[in-house]
Amino acid sequence: MNSIERVTAALSFEKPDRVPVIAQVFGHAAVLAGVSLSDYVRDGELLARCQIEALNRYGYDAVFALMDTSVETEAAGSLLSYQRDRYPFVASYALKDAAGLEGLSAPDPQKAGRMPELLKAARTLRREVGDDVLVVGCVLGPLTVATQLLGAESALYLAIDHPERFALLLDIAAEISIRFGTAQIEAGVHLPVVFDPSASPAVIPPQFFREFELPRLLKVFTALKGAGAAANWLHIAGPAAPILPLYPQAGVDIANFDYCVSPSEAQAALPRTCLDGNIKPLSFVEATPEMIADESAELLSQFDHRGGFILSSGCEIPPEARPENVAAMVSAARRRG
Amino acid sequence: MSDPTMDQLVKTLLDGDQAGALTEARKLRDAGVGCERIVTEGIMELLDAKCTVEQFNLLEIMLSGRAVMGVIKELYPPADPPPRTKGSVVVGAMEGDVHDLGKNILKAVLAARRYRVVDCGKDCAVETIIDTAERETALAVSVSGLITSVIPQVRLLRDRMTERRMGHVKLLAGGAALKQASAASLNVDFVADTAFDALHYLDRITGGES
Repeated sequence: MNSIERVTAALSFEKPDRVPVIAQVFGHAAVLAGVSLSDYVRDGELLARCQIEALNRYGYDAVFALMDTSVETEAAGSLLSYQRDRYPFVASYALKDAAGLEGLSAPDPQKAGRMPELLKAARTLRREVGDDVLVVGCVLGPLTVATQLLGAESALYLAIDHPERFALLLDIAAEISIRFGTAQIEAGVHLPVVFDPSASPAVIPPQFFREFELPRLLKVFTALKGAGAAANWLHIAGPAAPILPLYPQAGVDIANFDYCVSPSEAQAALPRTCLDGNIKPLSFVEATPEMIADESAELLSQFDHRGGFILSSGCEIPPEARPENVAAMVSAARRRG
Repeated sequence: MSDPTMDQLVKTLLDGDQAGALTEARKLRDAGVGCERIVTEGIMELLDAKCTVEQFNLLEIMLSGRAVMGVIKELYPPADPPPRTKGSVVVGAMEGDVHDLGKNILKAVLAARRYRVVDCGKDCAVETIIDTAERETALAVSVSGLITSVIPQVRLLRDRMTERRMGHVKLLAGGAALKQASAASLNVDFVADTAFDALHYLDRITGGES
């Protein structure tokens, strides 16, 4: 089986030749190649080259056309601060307050900010790996786009003080996710992961997620599937257990679970949804390869009879991770078969 | 606490209703209830209630925090600060990290419990934090980090502070990245899972006394 066939088998709970392993290697690929993060996230060709080098080194099942969590907001008008070895951050938000909402529209992915560079990375990666390895793009979920447009504190207060304005902001945010995700699929990704950290129960209560975010996620995933996404992958880090049971209502096919959600909790919440996770990200920096191998083996055992599993980290593998730890996770999946 | 009007204050704070909380606090003050009692009974009741909920989320804590800060500003305008505090706590997000929402929540929670909070802001150098702690004679320093790359800086704090004869100052760490690590590995006294966790720890070391 190649990687695509392996992931497809996991998605349908069939038995793959081995459990697929997707290391969430983003900026770590730049560090491996000796490239600064600020160059990596601004140059699509460079990003693709680093991803391919990391793929060749580790031999896992997916590459990522993924920059950082500020691509959408920059394209919509936020000003970012770039520093050599850090992901960029918002220095000035696109929206000063909710009064500017009417003037906001979904940016054109072919022209706005770094979106064209990300599309370039997607095209290059797909050309390089074809249909052997999964090419994953990335869009932020509506709530995370909203918090990145206005600032988290202002966006969340807006939700309470002026819910109708907040709903409008979320609708525009969902359009941004759809337009960018569709462009990524057209550029060659097999699917864009929808990354939505602001929707974590660590940030908002589950009932808020159900009322505000779930309908927009459904809209985003329906549109992405319609545009040709191979599967709908939702990534919400942190203590997501209370909202996992809602994922099928949004059309989620692959659900990421972080280290603070146990495999048994995730399995009980989503009995027929493919799960990916959940080694603690910091362990890739601080633990030994033996520890990562043991933890991987334990995880694989817990999914032995169930299937529907992709071995992964709970969230991004930190850029400064020890390469031998990433390799240990991949080897564990290969060894188990 | 059996005073029905105090019950109303606690309810509005729990609901995150800032306007309602201000109204209730003014009613209590106009009825002759002392500011200190309003804070100690009303706001602490709120904190105790929040401390016992199983699932924390930033939104609810932000709303309660905003209501609490509104009441505290009303009762203690800047020209008329509270008479006693439990001591100064320096808070900051480490250099390289610009995420400060969690730190701001901690600030509100500690201020509500009558700690004097000195905020170093975000993207904050180790030496800035230590200088501030020295100048403010802090009883504790609490640093936050959402990205793992700040961890080496956190590990420096203890030794740098000991070199400057500040070994007695308690060190706390929190935030999504730092709470993945143990206190021993970060070389700090305590790793807080939530803002309330940090509050409990500080209350333990101060004996909960003013």
